[in-house]
Amino acid sequence: MNSVTALLMRELRLGTRQGGLGTAIGFLLALIVLVPLSLGPDLALLSRIAPGIMWLGLLLAVLLTSEQIFQQDFEDGSLDLMTMTATPFELIVLAKALAHWFTVGLPLALLAPPLGLMLNIDATQLPTIWAAMLLGSLALSMLAAIGGAVTAGLRRGSLLVSLLILPLYVPVLIFGIAASTSSLAPDTSLPSFAILLAIAMMTLVISPLACAAALKAYLR
Amino acid sequence: MDWSAPHAGFVMAAYAASAIGIFGLIIWLVRRDINARKQDQRLG
Amino acid sequence: MQKFANPHVFVKLATAILPYVWALTAILFVIGLYGALVTSPPDYQQGETVRIIYVHVPASWLALMIYSLMAVFSAVALIFRHPLADAAAKSAAPIGAVFCFLALFTGSVWGKPMWGTWWVWDARLTSMFVLMLLYLGYIAIWRAIDDPHRAASIAAIVALVGAINVPIVKYSVDWWNTLHQPASVFRMSGSTIDKSMLWPLLVMALAYTMLFVALHLVALRGEVFLRKIRNRRLAEVRNK
Repeated sequence: MNSVTALLMRELRLGTRQGGLGTAIGFLLALIVLVPLSLGPDLALLSRIAPGIMWLGLLLAVLLTSEQIFQQDFEDGSLDLMTMTATPFELIVLAKALAHWFTVGLPLALLAPPLGLMLNIDATQLPTIWAAMLLGSLALSMLAAIGGAVTAGLRRGSLLVSLLILPLYVPVLIFGIAASTSSLAPDTSLPSFAILLAIAMMTLVISPLACAAALKAYLR
Repeated sequence: MDWSAPHAGFVMAAYAASAIGIFGLIIWLVRRDINARKQDQRLG
Repeated sequence: MQKFANPHVFVKLATAILPYVWALTAILFVIGLYGALVTSPPDYQQGETVRIIYVHVPASWLALMIYSLMAVFSAVALIFRHPLADAAAKSAAPIGAVFCFLALFTGSVWGKPMWGTWWVWDARLTSMFVLMLLYLGYIAIWRAIDDPHRAASIAAIVALVGAINVPIVKYSVDWWNTLHQPASVFRMSGSTIDKSMLWPLLVMALAYTMLFVALHLVALRGEVFLRKIRNRRLAEVRNK
């Protein structure tokens, strides 16, 4: 277990240093500016679509940074070495994906809702949106890892990653938004959160399995 | 089928598209198969 | 299944039964189309446009069934390393993609006279759209990876992850649709399908299925020969 914690610490340190978060935040800010510019400053309209825009921003920003989970270690051979250790490769992969969540997904999930105030989000919705995004961003990071793993050996995989992962993001988005706006419809609140939690748990299991299998295929 | 009914054009479009799609698939796959077998024979 | 592991045996078998499959397909289509366009009645609400159901529903069923089949082939490829399994999945994909597109197109064409717009974000069309993306992604990943064995493994993973996603997406889109339910509920003619419409629908569904069997056999046979040619070319280069 010590090796996994050591790996996790390494990933966290690398993640915070490499500044994938910076790009992601920049992207989010750009989206927040462009949406009112393209739709007009009608505050009522903005407040209605604000949760959707925030989730879209979170989704796309996490997707944008998905390559950094495996790319570097794949290219310099460290990933190859990691398959040969005593620790199960699936655990190693899980540690990497979780580190991505800690350094990118989680901060974005915390930042996005307050930024939504610029889109005239109803401030009383903030706690529910935070909760939903915390859960959802975990699933998003896990799924993004699958995208990164499946395209690890490809030269220009980024467009393909989007095509592969966006269908996986659909349920997270739907239940995430349902949970986020559920303060307006309390009887859908618990089911939405429950399903969001279930999806997040599922990705925690499926992602390491799929990533490990895909990476091993590239490393053979 | 009453071809002069209102919206009959939509029915025609749907069936025509289906036919084009299906025949397109058939032609593409059959040609690919025939060419592959011919090439394999040529390579002896 | 073990004897089909030998591609040579598969080719012989496929070549033997194909003429019968094609013949059956043709017969079923003739009967089905006759039922769809001649004997079945127009709908009392939708008029003649209800006939689109006979090409829309079979295409949707096939699109979904073929993807499930691809997932099964992929699982067999990954777990049992059956030599033809990944080829079977690969060759099924373009067929499924075309059926999926036809489902979307005919659904859209049906929607215009029925709902007044070319596209509706109802649960079914939305799920079909996501399925289309899954097909395109799967086909793209095969084309993106050069080494066929690596491509086979990666594609199999993509297909399986996608397959897990399909029921979840369907569920989520249904949920989403009920949250945003429009005022009126759109239903097909009556709550149950009348017998005069059911039998042409079933015959057309069978026809489409037989068509898939024929097309898949042709596609798989073609794939087997293409691989043979590639291996021979590689052997030539190696021996030079």
